[in-house]
Amino acid sequence: MPSILPQLIINGLIAGSIYALAASGFSLVYYVVKFMNFAQGAIITIAAYLFFLFGSVLGINYALSALLSIIISILAILSMNLIVYENLRKRKATNVVTMISSLALLIFSSALVLAIFGSSTKTISLYNKTFDFGIFTVTLIQLIIICSSVFLFLLLWVVLKKTRLGKAMRSLSDNKEAAQVIGINPEKIYTYAFIIAGILGSISGILIGLEQNLYPRMGVPIIIKGFISSVVGGINSVYGSIVGGLFIGLVEILGIWFLPSGYRDVISFSILLLFLLFKPNGILGVKKRDDS
Amino acid sequence: MIHEYLISILTFISIYSIIVLSLNVVIGFTGLINLGHIVFVGIGAYASAILALNGVPWYISIFAAGILASVFGAAIAAITSRLKGDYLAMVTLGLVFIAVAVSRNWISLTRGALGLPGIPDIIKNNFHYMIFTMAISALSVFLFYRLTNSETGKIFQAIRDNEVAASVLGKNTYFYKIISMAASTFFAGIAGSLLAHHLNFVDPTIFELDFIVTMLVMLIAGGLASITGSVVGVFILYALSESIRFIVVNPSIVGAFREMVFAVVLILILIFRPRGMFGKVDI
Repeated sequence: MPSILPQLIINGLIAGSIYALAASGFSLVYYVVKFMNFAQGAIITIAAYLFFLFGSVLGINYALSALLSIIISILAILSMNLIVYENLRKRKATNVVTMISSLALLIFSSALVLAIFGSSTKTISLYNKTFDFGIFTVTLIQLIIICSSVFLFLLLWVVLKKTRLGKAMRSLSDNKEAAQVIGINPEKIYTYAFIIAGILGSISGILIGLEQNLYPRMGVPIIIKGFISSVVGGINSVYGSIVGGLFIGLVEILGIWFLPSGYRDVISFSILLLFLLFKPNGILGVKKRDDS
Repeated sequence: MIHEYLISILTFISIYSIIVLSLNVVIGFTGLINLGHIVFVGIGAYASAILALNGVPWYISIFAAGILASVFGAAIAAITSRLKGDYLAMVTLGLVFIAVAVSRNWISLTRGALGLPGIPDIIKNNFHYMIFTMAISALSVFLFYRLTNSETGKIFQAIRDNEVAASVLGKNTYFYKIISMAASTFFAGIAGSLLAHHLNFVDPTIFELDFIVTMLVMLIAGGLASITGSVVGVFILYALSESIRFIVVNPSIVGAFREMVFAVVLILILIFRPRGMFGKVDI
């Protein structure tokens, strides 16, 4: 069936871009703050629901409601950092403990969204256009999703490589003690990292909300795929999350050509397991300093 | 005659105690952060449900559930023996999602999202079933007490505190990690089987993520590496969870409210009292 192959590749790219969007913020926090922040999935859910609330329920202009949801999501991730993660860092908790607390935050946020908005699925109906290229079709929102994953890739690259903040993040990631010696305040840089992760997470939340349905637990499967993407791409490299996301998306879509579509998660987890066992540094293969 | 509601609560507490105690052997005593414990409970539940629905007597189905879960647990421990810390945590967490996908899609075996109804009761009388689960729970407390105070248990704790040192002293840490997981998941499977026979129903929602938070909060509130702690932790948090039913007026958000309370309790314990009530080590 060669005729459906182009469409499958496009679908894989769309799924992969969604994973890459989810993975980017997750991966940045892991790179700088050194723990797996599953609450990134909560930010995605919160942003999507806020966009739904402002745009579809209250009828505010969509650009303004996007801006409002991004700002509130940033406040949400900063308060998570201030209330939970900072206190855990103060008592020198291990990264596993911080990860468990982020899981608890994820569950908390989904339950909160469930209590406020109810368990029924919601859709954001926005003007959408379908482009037919003969061998494949793609909608405007899907094109925006693919483009924004490329754009975020470039943005992260610029921030990390070309700015003073990026330099501070990289030095903090390489060696925290040495970074502190030369006058970098970790808490301040962590705050910036969470702000950037909040922006990435809320933009992906809005885009995912436009492409898929909204339901209170939507952040859980998305952030799980985001975390698989960042591990497969290379957890010690922020760009790896984008590469990994696209890779996982393509393999999943090509895999369900042969397997029932319900086995998508099994495919991605088998890849995760294979990478963890045989190539734990991921596709980009950045070595990790062993500090355990 | 004890009230039906109390019987139901005590039955669940007994089953949860087995689950949390067995999790404590792996996380608390051996230091392996296993976030996928619910997978083994689910394997036990599904295994005994399928066997019992095909007419296998309950004493075989319970035992087979434990053995099957234990085989899976040992295999997972063998595969992941090189991983530790957050890498192990996320692989075991990943198992949960594989389990969801398999139980949803292996329709010929699990009937997918429809679940398996009509699992026969072991004992018709609920009060007698409560006594039965309490007895198994007490047996598991005894066996885990013996295990963790034996030489093997000491080696588990040595692996937790310093794996390299344990292997330098000539202990085969690979082998003992597998033993720890196999013993733990055997009881997880038994607990799953008791759950399936009690609810008479099992479906893929047994692998819900919030159940992991529930187990972790019971475990950590009670305290790692403490058998008393696990039992007390289950008692107190189950009582808290049940009391929410009476506080929240709107029945549609009871579940959501309970999840929020458990998440907040877990975070508070992690920040302010990582040893829990009776814990011997920090998480």
